[in-house]
Amino acid sequence: MDLLNLNYEKYKLKNGLEVILYRDNTLPIVTTNIWYRAGSANEKLGKTGIAHLFEHMMFQGSVNVPKEMHFRYIQEAGGNLNGSTSTDRTNYFEKVPSNFLELILWLESDRMGFFIPALTQEKLANQIDVVKNERLERYDNQPYGLAWEILISNLFPENHPYSWATIGSLEDISNFTIEDVKSFFEKYYSPANACLVIAGDFEPNEAKNLTEKYFGEIQGKNHLETPQLKPIRLDENKFIVHKDKVQLERIYLAWHTGCAYSEDDSALDIFTDLLTGSKTSRLYKKLVFEQEVAQDITAYQFSGKYAGYFVVIATAKPGILLAELKDKIFAEFENIKNNGINEKELLRSKNGIKSGFIYSMQNIDSMADQLNSYNYFLNEPNSFNYDLSRYENVSGENILGLFEKYFSKPFVELHVIPETEG
Amino acid sequence: MIFNRTVKPKPAKNISFGLPQIEKFKLQNGLDVIFIQKKKLPIIRLSLIINAGSKFDPENKKGLSNLLAMVIDEGAGKYNALELSEEFDILGANFSVNSNHDKIYFTLQTLTENFDKSLELFCTVIKSPHFSEEDFLRQKRKTLTHLLQLKDDPEEIADTVFSYVLFGEQNPYAFPTSGYDSHIELISINDIKNYYNMHLTPSNSTLVVVGDSSSKNIIEKLEQNIGSWRLEGTKIKKNFDTQGTSNQIFLVDKKDSVQTEIRMGYPSSKRSMDDFFPKLVLNTILGGPFTSRINLNLRENKGYTYGASSSFGYLQESGFFIVSTSVGIENTASAIKEILYELNKIREGITEDELEFAKSFLIRQFPSSFETYRQISSNLTTMVIHSLPDNYFNNYIENLNRISIEEVNKAALENIFTSNLSTIIVGDKEKLLSQLKSENFENIVSTDYNGKPAIL
Repeated sequence: MDLLNLNYEKYKLKNGLEVILYRDNTLPIVTTNIWYRAGSANEKLGKTGIAHLFEHMMFQGSVNVPKEMHFRYIQEAGGNLNGSTSTDRTNYFEKVPSNFLELILWLESDRMGFFIPALTQEKLANQIDVVKNERLERYDNQPYGLAWEILISNLFPENHPYSWATIGSLEDISNFTIEDVKSFFEKYYSPANACLVIAGDFEPNEAKNLTEKYFGEIQGKNHLETPQLKPIRLDENKFIVHKDKVQLERIYLAWHTGCAYSEDDSALDIFTDLLTGSKTSRLYKKLVFEQEVAQDITAYQFSGKYAGYFVVIATAKPGILLAELKDKIFAEFENIKNNGINEKELLRSKNGIKSGFIYSMQNIDSMADQLNSYNYFLNEPNSFNYDLSRYENVSGENILGLFEKYFSKPFVELHVIPETEG
Repeated sequence: MIFNRTVKPKPAKNISFGLPQIEKFKLQNGLDVIFIQKKKLPIIRLSLIINAGSKFDPENKKGLSNLLAMVIDEGAGKYNALELSEEFDILGANFSVNSNHDKIYFTLQTLTENFDKSLELFCTVIKSPHFSEEDFLRQKRKTLTHLLQLKDDPEEIADTVFSYVLFGEQNPYAFPTSGYDSHIELISINDIKNYYNMHLTPSNSTLVVVGDSSSKNIIEKLEQNIGSWRLEGTKIKKNFDTQGTSNQIFLVDKKDSVQTEIRMGYPSSKRSMDDFFPKLVLNTILGGPFTSRINLNLRENKGYTYGASSSFGYLQESGFFIVSTSVGIENTASAIKEILYELNKIREGITEDELEFAKSFLIRQFPSSFETYRQISSNLTTMVIHSLPDNYFNNYIENLNRISIEEVNKAALENIFTSNLSTIIVGDKEKLLSQLKSENFENIVSTDYNGKPAIL
């Protein structure tokens, strides 16, 4: 599809910083999006949550930008900004009127090159409090809020960094020191470990000159660590029960699968859609619509740089046993295995995915982030058409092949049940 | 290259931004249509805004409007519920029906190449819903289970109690859109059909269209597909007077919570062109963006929370002011005090520097609020709900530019109070009660999850 074939320019500064330029002057706005190739997968046991806490510290100012002024400068330019941390990377992004491009390059470069001297114990103590509140508000105080953490800690061995949540444990967050923050910066925050996307309304020569001016002088570091992780498998099924302040019981089933963009990744994505992506999808139709044994059901394929897993989550209607839901889920797996997937179901999923690609192009920030994502995983930013073809090429046989490879293997089963029950 | 990194770069030359053209027309059945052509991508987005939200729920049937929205796309025309969903899916079209206090919304996002077919389905749902007993009962059971689940969510509880104590029993905005289980039990399929006949009419609706098409094509296709939608309906008058709330703390017990959800506020004026812009600038300084006073104090200075904000909420017939945050239990009393401090302080006036910041923030972000099809559609929806003038967006920047510090200070004195302010806290009662008492807070009452009095 022509629409998905993007014109871009990619080059490297001498210090190793990758730069990707993508022009779209529909509106007078410009966005920068920078990915550092470090996330919670780069953490060690006892230091969980440092990648995310570090992201918070990056908004606390740098040598030439006082505390709070990073936000203030961008907001007074009419811009918005944020960052996010995942298992595999940390990103920072801002979107401003296009005449403020130089401002955001100055801000991003200042915290890439001149962050450490502006770090103080006071700033760290404040952000430790903020992040503890974030964890309590978004995980501990949410219904089923700890389920994911319990699930992955059982799916992965204790020392595997995918075994803990990116937010980190409350204890680890509380104990971080200035030294921890500095050492994370030294290991991972180097121009050579980052990629900057500039997207939107800009003049290419001007953008290149400004990028060289602000980022060119930042020194690269020699010692950058990447985790060495072996493939993981479960030797036997695991069963966990967790009590929570909830009204309804919920079951989680999780299997190991493969990494992002690996052989079966797109087939697994399509499989989630075939199972629970719409009203007519297999599990939704049977369990929620026809039999009304579940209030909701979702299948989800997580695929990261170092591993992947497939999860089915179902909330039981009052009075329905989780064992019954489990049986019905496996019965439908058997049914698909024996009778296959029909062409219309497959087409429905593929059409949804195809239009989803076009819908997602509405907004320049998500385009910039996607360019960075393709560059990170595939080393080619213009991979929209390739990505779409991965889905279009999935056949019914590919789906059937998933059972032997993944769903016949041991899995983790988690039950979340109301506290009041015995 | 030698340059001075300590100096903040200045903006390059000024930018120009052309507002998209708004076209308005009326179909033969009386339906108002607002259209903006946007060609960037082969996408068309439709939003039918029907004045039929939960504010029209009958006294003993709270939840009726929402249940209608849950049932209406469960089968229409020649399609049953599953077939209808399948038809939209195979076109790669996103279709949904949602409701809030004021409106029911039908939303469709489709590729231009599938517009004709998607529009036909969209209109079929509006004109010819099945409302079968079987589909109705299934959706009713689903809603009842959903209400059960809402009891788990402290944010949801805080918002529900906030509306209830603020607006008071006599006001339709006091009740949650999702309704009450005891009321939903009483609702029959005939109630749904009557509500549909009464409220879901062309003259009670506006259709917003944004996308890669022409007004000529849109009018033609709409006349073809929705021209036969010709219900007359019945207009209902409701009283939206608010009860004055007293200066109380409403404590909702959520045993073993690890955080406290806080809402503080009071009823405020409905949206008006007379004071909307001064209030917008005021709140931008007080509790809007990240760098506003309340967030900097509670988050970046005290570390009590992950985030705190305030806003003027605008309903079609009313309005409110709200401060909203979630804090560690041990900081509940301190957080309430800091919020009161900020509310009192802003009444003493703002600085020129703050005024410049707020105006700059609001004016410069204006172009980026027209980026996506959804954003443009949502801007037009706001115009419809609040009957804003046709030149609203044309004059937006000028209206902000001319705001003086005196106008903002006047808006603060007229709209920000610490008396007659209701405070809702949702958390562990035992821990909260002793903390509040030792900090000399008075007028603490206990409520259930719906805001009704409970034993303290």
